[in-house]
Amino acid sequence: MIAVEHLTKYYGEYPAVRDVSFRVDKGQVVGFLGPNGAGKSTTMRILAGYLTASTGKATIDGKDVFWDPIEARRRIGYMPESCPLYADMRVDEYLWFRGGLKGLSRSARKQRIGYVLERCWVNDVRRQPIGTLSKGYRQRVGLADALLADPPVLILDEPTAGLDPTQIRETRLLLRELGRQHTMRLSTHILSEVEMTCDSVIIIYQGKVVEDGSLTAVRQRHNNQSLEDIFVRLTGQEGI
Amino acid sequence: MRATASLFRRELAAYFTSPIGYVAMFAFLVLTGLQFNLALSLLTERGPLGVEYPMQVLLGGSEIAGPAQTAGVLFWGLFPAVTGIITMRLLAEERGAGTLEMLLTAPIRDWQVVFAKFAACFAFYVILWLPTLAYLPILLDLHADWHPAFTPFSIMLIAGLGFALLGLIALVLGGNGWFATLLILLGAIAAGVGGYLHSTNDAEKLVELTSGIDPYPALTSYIGVILAGAMFLALGLFVSSLVKSQLVAWMLSLLLGLLFVLPSLLRWWFDSGSTEYQWVYFLSVPEHFRRDFTRGIIDSRPLVLYVTVTLFCLFLTARSLVARRLR
Repeated sequence: MIAVEHLTKYYGEYPAVRDVSFRVDKGQVVGFLGPNGAGKSTTMRILAGYLTASTGKATIDGKDVFWDPIEARRRIGYMPESCPLYADMRVDEYLWFRGGLKGLSRSARKQRIGYVLERCWVNDVRRQPIGTLSKGYRQRVGLADALLADPPVLILDEPTAGLDPTQIRETRLLLRELGRQHTMRLSTHILSEVEMTCDSVIIIYQGKVVEDGSLTAVRQRHNNQSLEDIFVRLTGQEGI
Repeated sequence: MRATASLFRRELAAYFTSPIGYVAMFAFLVLTGLQFNLALSLLTERGPLGVEYPMQVLLGGSEIAGPAQTAGVLFWGLFPAVTGIITMRLLAEERGAGTLEMLLTAPIRDWQVVFAKFAACFAFYVILWLPTLAYLPILLDLHADWHPAFTPFSIMLIAGLGFALLGLIALVLGGNGWFATLLILLGAIAAGVGGYLHSTNDAEKLVELTSGIDPYPALTSYIGVILAGAMFLALGLFVSSLVKSQLVAWMLSLLLGLLFVLPSLLRWWFDSGSTEYQWVYFLSVPEHFRRDFTRGIIDSRPLVLYVTVTLFCLFLTARSLVARRLR
């Protein structure tokens, strides 16, 4: 579903992503790990079509994100980090607008909005301006937007950042359910979350992929250590 | 198409859900209202000091030194500030809040984003000008004579208008959208056809309009104002795509807009037949209005300037969105 080959991205002179390659097969839930500044968000933004790679190739369901951007973006539900939304719009107005932006017809929009409002537990705040919502609700509205066009691929950048423990638990539950229908790729800092929701992991450090494989395979390769130990060892922060 | 329409609707609605739209409307109506007040006092003045072209006072100043000239300079000095208020939020706000990332990762092309945003601010600009149509009956010295000339054609006209009004009310009150739109459309068509046949075939007309002052300068003025506005808006949109702060966007678009206003101040230094004046004329919007549009002349030179600058700025805006991705 997601295929990335030799992706490199320079910010000026600085290479944020260096020669990254990986594949995510249909129906898989992949955790994308790495310390801050490792190039997680950059890679996700390239996949979502917000940034253009310096070199390399990325395809979503066979559609190149650079040469066929519209078709590739149709297949993605993207939720950026910190989930920016229009504060002056109401939740259902916002989803209605996003549905139109994603090319859904009026009847399809009505039906899908009803579905995602239920699915992401935001039905009780549907008439509230987004600016008045708490962080957790906003995050769910962002998730609802990502799900709106029923895309085969979900790309979520830190979906649980800044949530309280209850909300994290609810979101995790939701992600697990969604993982059954969608190919999903989520970045996170919380390693236990990966163990609970993901089938496989990709660990990225200083712009390079340092580990890639299913959870069990990765553990076996590192003598059945915990994911936390593996992460710390690979990202070179053992001394801390 | 659906994506563009959806974005257009959101952007236009955003003007009416945020204070910015009302601030622009207020500033603009105060500005034109003062101009109208001045035109009115000049029109009613006794003696040889009156006014030849009332639209000129409303939009462009005057040849003769006096309050109309000062007001013209002020009006055009403030005009880019008003268009700047309209355009400053379009892209700068999205960049500041980070929502641009959501917009640019939706399946919509960059030029569609630019087009929808421009169309929305342009539509708002046209709405801004609509109330000023109320000044026209006085500025043109319009008289209407009503006759009870009820022929089949005139009845068709009245019925068509009635249906369109009914549809409009239904639309505002939130009835069935499709039905109301259909009613408005059919009513408008009936009124148009009826009105045309009524004006060409019937001897006695329902209403006879006579204007004491030549009405065509009003028409050319509005054509000029719409196109010149498009140019200032496109400049503002481009500036807004470059910065994150709305305030900076407003100040920069004011500055850039003044590039097309301030050269008009140089006209006092040059003879109106000289080559230098030709250059000054080409770049100064107030001069276009003072000399041409408000006197019923449509010169192709300003039109070419407006259209090329508009298209060029829209092109640059689309490119600046692409440049963000390549960053």
